[in-house]
Amino acid sequence: MAAATTALKIRTALAEYLKRDVASITDAHHLRDDLGLDSMAVIELLYRIEDTFDIQIPDQDLAGLTTVGHVITYVNKRLGRTPTAGVSNKPSKSTSKKRS
Amino acid sequence: MPARVVVTGLGVVSPIGIGVSEFWKAALAGRSGITAIRSFEPFPMDGYRSRVAGQIHDFVPGQIVDGVLAERVDRYAQFALAAVKEALGDSHLQMGRENPHRVGVLVGAGMGGMVMGEREITRLYQHQRPHRVHPNFIPVITLNSASGIVAMACGAKGPNLTISTACSSSAHALGQALQCIREGRADVVITVGADASITPLVFAGFCSLRALSTKYNDHPGKASRPFDRGRDGFVMGEGAGALILESAAHAKKRKAHIYAEVAGYAATSEAYHMVIPREDGEEVATTMRLALADAGITPAQVDYINAHATSTPIGDAVEVKALRNVFKARAQKLAINATKSLIGHSLGAAGAIGAIASILAIHTGRIHPTANYDDPDPACALPGISRSVQERRVNVALLNAFGFGSNNAAVVLKRAVA
Repeated sequence: MAAATTALKIRTALAEYLKRDVASITDAHHLRDDLGLDSMAVIELLYRIEDTFDIQIPDQDLAGLTTVGHVITYVNKRLGRTPTAGVSNKPSKSTSKKRS
Repeated sequence: MPARVVVTGLGVVSPIGIGVSEFWKAALAGRSGITAIRSFEPFPMDGYRSRVAGQIHDFVPGQIVDGVLAERVDRYAQFALAAVKEALGDSHLQMGRENPHRVGVLVGAGMGGMVMGEREITRLYQHQRPHRVHPNFIPVITLNSASGIVAMACGAKGPNLTISTACSSSAHALGQALQCIREGRADVVITVGADASITPLVFAGFCSLRALSTKYNDHPGKASRPFDRGRDGFVMGEGAGALILESAAHAKKRKAHIYAEVAGYAATSEAYHMVIPREDGEEVATTMRLALADAGITPAQVDYINAHATSTPIGDAVEVKALRNVFKARAQKLAINATKSLIGHSLGAAGAIGAIASILAIHTGRIHPTANYDDPDPACALPGISRSVQERRVNVALLNAFGFGSNNAAVVLKRAVA
């Protein structure tokens, strides 16, 4: 998956959640301070990203995900199979990632 | 002397109309909101003995309430938000001018966030992926999610409580709101009943309980027929009703329009059976007597009964037995109707919507028809039950609501005297 596609998918997920134009969301935006996501909203966003990319984001990685750019970099890294400390990149065992 | 409590705003979301005006117009026309259930994807409906319900087909939450708030809660709480928005607007209560700690929220809900509840449980067991359970699952299914989101939407910081007593939940919510204001713990209580649990599992559960109508699957509009000889069980409904209750002094101070007074309330338990009422109707009768005594009203002063009347063979007969017992000769002069004949049984919302129908009867002098009362069952027959609109000045109305778990509620509403 191209890195640019990953970035677009993440910005789109954010735009849908926030109900705003995807073009208005930049890498530099801080999730809480600029986009107004509270801690619960960040968890919901990451849940959606886990689903979209079929990855699991362990709790210890959450602290580093504070800007849009951080999230994009993190997901690209995970998809590029570059191990993050203590995290397995194995896809989950589920046969389906479809959300009904 | 405890504060008198009045109603200054109404809001409703129902299968026969979203909004009080649409609801009341359809109710007076005797229009049934019961339709065939199209499907429970992926369940074929032929696996269900009952296939009809009072569903709300045209509810688009984002069109009515703040989209972001609405998305975070289940369907029943979305109904609650929409009904409260209408009721607050109707009452012209300006939250910016109120002491927020003197405005409470009391919600009656029987089942809660079952749409998400069932979906997430199903997915978990199907896919066995615990990390895929939605982060909002707990906040959504927790039974006070509606009272919480309503308070957030309104900025109401007073008592915030949820009453869950099955089918009588919001009648008790009204009674508890009355007591809350009487005791001086709040000036205003936003009182709501809401339920939306026409879901594959809950519906199957009521089917298994043999509580639902099954004879009229091909004629949905005929299925809910309280007091009629052909009744064979209740029809599930969904919806919400919201009422703005406030102390008469507070309403007068802000020159609010007053619909009616909430004059009395009683809560009892039959301590008898989880789902069956006592057949002699004694406990139902006691509940009505206690509510009338609380209001300082005699049976002879009552004009109209908004009956619990769910269209079950036993329940309707027990209620009428109790009415005859309490009202004696006056029973022949009461106007009586069953709101559930039009919208089905909306469980936790039923008391609030019934209260709205009662208040509108006081307010307009018109009592909506009881649909499908075609062949009066002698066990239920009273002259004041009618398939037509009854024109009558209503000074005092009594609302009944009974719930699984052997509990009863009765609420007395009366014309407000300036």
